[in-house]
Amino acid sequence: MEREKISSHYTFCEVQIEESKIKAFNKDSRTNNSFRVYDGEYAGIQYIQGGNDDEAGFKKAADNLSIKRPYKFTLETGRRSRDKTERDYTDGDVMDIAKQSVEYLTSHYPDFKFSGSINSHKRNITMKNTLGLDYSNTDCQLSISITYKHKDSKDLDDGYFSIGQRDFDFKKFTDMADNHLQGFENLAELPDELIIQQQYYEYLSKLSESLNAEDLALDTSLLTGKVGEKVFADGFTLSHDVSDKETWFTPFFDGEGVVQEGDKRVYIENGVLLSGYADKRTAAKYSQPHTGSAGFNLNDVPYNGYLNLRIARSDKKVRELLDNRLTVVPILAAGGGYNEKGDYVTPVQKAFLCDGERFIGRLPEFAIKGNMFDIFGSGFIGVGSDNPVFNDKQILMKMDYSK
Amino acid sequence: MFNFPKGLYCDIRIEHTDSASYYVQNSEVMQNSETSVAGAMIRVYDGRLWYTSVTNDLQAVQDELDNLASVAQPDDNIENNPVVKMFEVHKDTVLKFEGDNDLRKTTREMREDLVKRCIDACDCDSFDEIKQWGASCSYEHKIKEFYSSKGAEIKQDMQQCFVHMFFDIVIDGITTTGSHAITGFDFDSVKGREDEIVKKRDRFLDYAKNAVDVTPGEYVCVLAPEVTGMFTHESFGHKSEADFMLNDKTLRDEWEMGKKVGSELVSICDSASAYGVTHRGDIAYDDEGTKPKETWLIKNGVLTGRLHDANSAAALGEELTGNARAQDFGFAPMVRMTNTYMLPGDRTPEEIISEVKDGIYIFGVIYGTGQSTFTLKPSCCYRITDGKLDTPVRVNVVNGSVFQTLFDIDAIGNDITFCDTGTCGKNGQAMPVSDAGPTIRVRKLTVN
Repeated sequence: MEREKISSHYTFCEVQIEESKIKAFNKDSRTNNSFRVYDGEYAGIQYIQGGNDDEAGFKKAADNLSIKRPYKFTLETGRRSRDKTERDYTDGDVMDIAKQSVEYLTSHYPDFKFSGSINSHKRNITMKNTLGLDYSNTDCQLSISITYKHKDSKDLDDGYFSIGQRDFDFKKFTDMADNHLQGFENLAELPDELIIQQQYYEYLSKLSESLNAEDLALDTSLLTGKVGEKVFADGFTLSHDVSDKETWFTPFFDGEGVVQEGDKRVYIENGVLLSGYADKRTAAKYSQPHTGSAGFNLNDVPYNGYLNLRIARSDKKVRELLDNRLTVVPILAAGGGYNEKGDYVTPVQKAFLCDGERFIGRLPEFAIKGNMFDIFGSGFIGVGSDNPVFNDKQILMKMDYSK
Repeated sequence: MFNFPKGLYCDIRIEHTDSASYYVQNSEVMQNSETSVAGAMIRVYDGRLWYTSVTNDLQAVQDELDNLASVAQPDDNIENNPVVKMFEVHKDTVLKFEGDNDLRKTTREMREDLVKRCIDACDCDSFDEIKQWGASCSYEHKIKEFYSSKGAEIKQDMQQCFVHMFFDIVIDGITTTGSHAITGFDFDSVKGREDEIVKKRDRFLDYAKNAVDVTPGEYVCVLAPEVTGMFTHESFGHKSEADFMLNDKTLRDEWEMGKKVGSELVSICDSASAYGVTHRGDIAYDDEGTKPKETWLIKNGVLTGRLHDANSAAALGEELTGNARAQDFGFAPMVRMTNTYMLPGDRTPEEIISEVKDGIYIFGVIYGTGQSTFTLKPSCCYRITDGKLDTPVRVNVVNGSVFQTLFDIDAIGNDITFCDTGTCGKNGQAMPVSDAGPTIRVRKLTVN
């Protein structure tokens, strides 16, 4: 009988801003554990929070073998420790950065009200088993999220920006704030050609759903039958990537202790679909490639779904990709999404016209629409090599307006 | 029980949550778990700042309290602080789920049996079009304790049981996902309702086979009761949460009491004990220890009330309403809805539909959002032609203006229905709420 333990510990320190003033100082510290016992046929699993007695945890896990949760897969081995921490933030550091940020915003932009959060977040996750597996992943980030509202606005808020960094650079924060709040003062008109410039996570939602190897096998994916085919644009390469220094809190191992070579797995290469994602169960059941995609289910056997999708960057900067064209940057866009055909529509309530780096002016409300195959196909312009506007990767793509 | 430091307001919220989940997907058991979680939030207020700490080590609560107190600045006059003065002091125990109805007494076998009955009734494997399906039974039982330095000592419980089934129906390479959720506040109330799931299966089979893409545009829309509930929550409910307007003159002027904000047909209420029946948003006390009140937000189209926590009530000089709620012990309370409903009228749904020459009937909804533009993402819609329901149509999103749409309601049905599956997101917190309403007709909404 083999034993395995996943343990997650995180600490969180936050200064909360309300109506341009510091309202609260919040701290959070929690530990969560998953004890697993394997007898070759079944897994017994017990979730326990907080500090714990390992023997008691493994005993409860062994008792749970009676539930007969099937698990016949070989356990992983290997030793590795990765700590991406660049700076540890004390409570005082977080409070000082909060005071500095509020002072900057209120003194430079008195016509706005600000709310939000300045927080440091540190997370360590370990996975160990009796076959010798010993993995540890640690990361720490300081992030600022600010919602702003003009004093004359009748809306609940007028915009939002956030920045996360391991080693906090105040200049990057003020650059972002200046771009938003100076751009807000100008009114702009929608361009004839709609090029969206935005962080791309929302737009990948249907694609990540469609890449599930189980859905591919059951014919319920929009990508069913397309493995090996060119489905998207030449320049569109999509990977699960936990090597990226701009990726936060993503362990290099999955919920079954599987590590990918180079901490990456390519699913779509130059527009060609290579495979779906599969944990050990899915891979075995549907004879699919095993891609190390098990989620961290602390109270039962793993589920298929550990994904940190990244679109490969172009070697050109955003401005070069645009070649003098203007973009539209949605700031508040919610309520729509993809439908079952892969058609995407969402109302955009707040957006800026942008030259790729600086906001030119705010735009009236509109709705955007497109289809997943067009967004990442004929409409795909690229992901620039630089990070203007968001201090993060951002996609450039052609979409359409909707009524 | 706790040693509260002097010169500070302090409160402690301790929660014990038991939950279980049994989930079968295409005949394979994917989840069979029972989980217990406990934790506490400790808050200290010195009149200038709130200091909070979260822990899932209940032995550490007093230490956490002492640590927070050591960085706060005590104020001998803290009891006269306007916010602190607002806090009510109750000593009460309201445990409604400790008897035979206690969901913690359900066994794995009971959940497995219930799921099996749903699977057998639905018989999804006999439909070639249903390529994937899932059925689950889960529950959550929560006991919350609240202690404050003013003397409050409250213990209350809440529980809910869910049965859920989904079916992925593939027609011409397009997957339509249909689903149905059954909820109740004890185990007996979710048993024997397999026919509801079968009806929903058949509706979505028809929808998947026959739905056509809607032509985007502005339409007269008739909203089914479940949709009206979410519409009420998103189109107006969030604007009734007073924390967005504390010192904002523009918004206070915009949402002044007595202002006409909608058709005189429209009345909206928020109540933590609506209609005398248990609902998902029920609370005996809010997370600041306040006993909730029934709050009429709109009466006959006129703004009559708003929802408060102690901070917003003190800032606006209004009464507490008992709407300070937190997702769980990991979060501080803020102003949230409980059970929000639109009062029914006297029209039948059939009458309301019969008066529409060309429109859209929104049968179900997945989620919504509520800024100045509110949105609804429908699960299933039908075209209305010459007063009758016609072809099913695929609609991605319906939206309208908060400032206009309540004026555009021109018919209200008599068929109020509560939806007890809602979870409302705000500032990173997911809150169990109920919403409700009757069939309504809106003269113009944007449909895409």
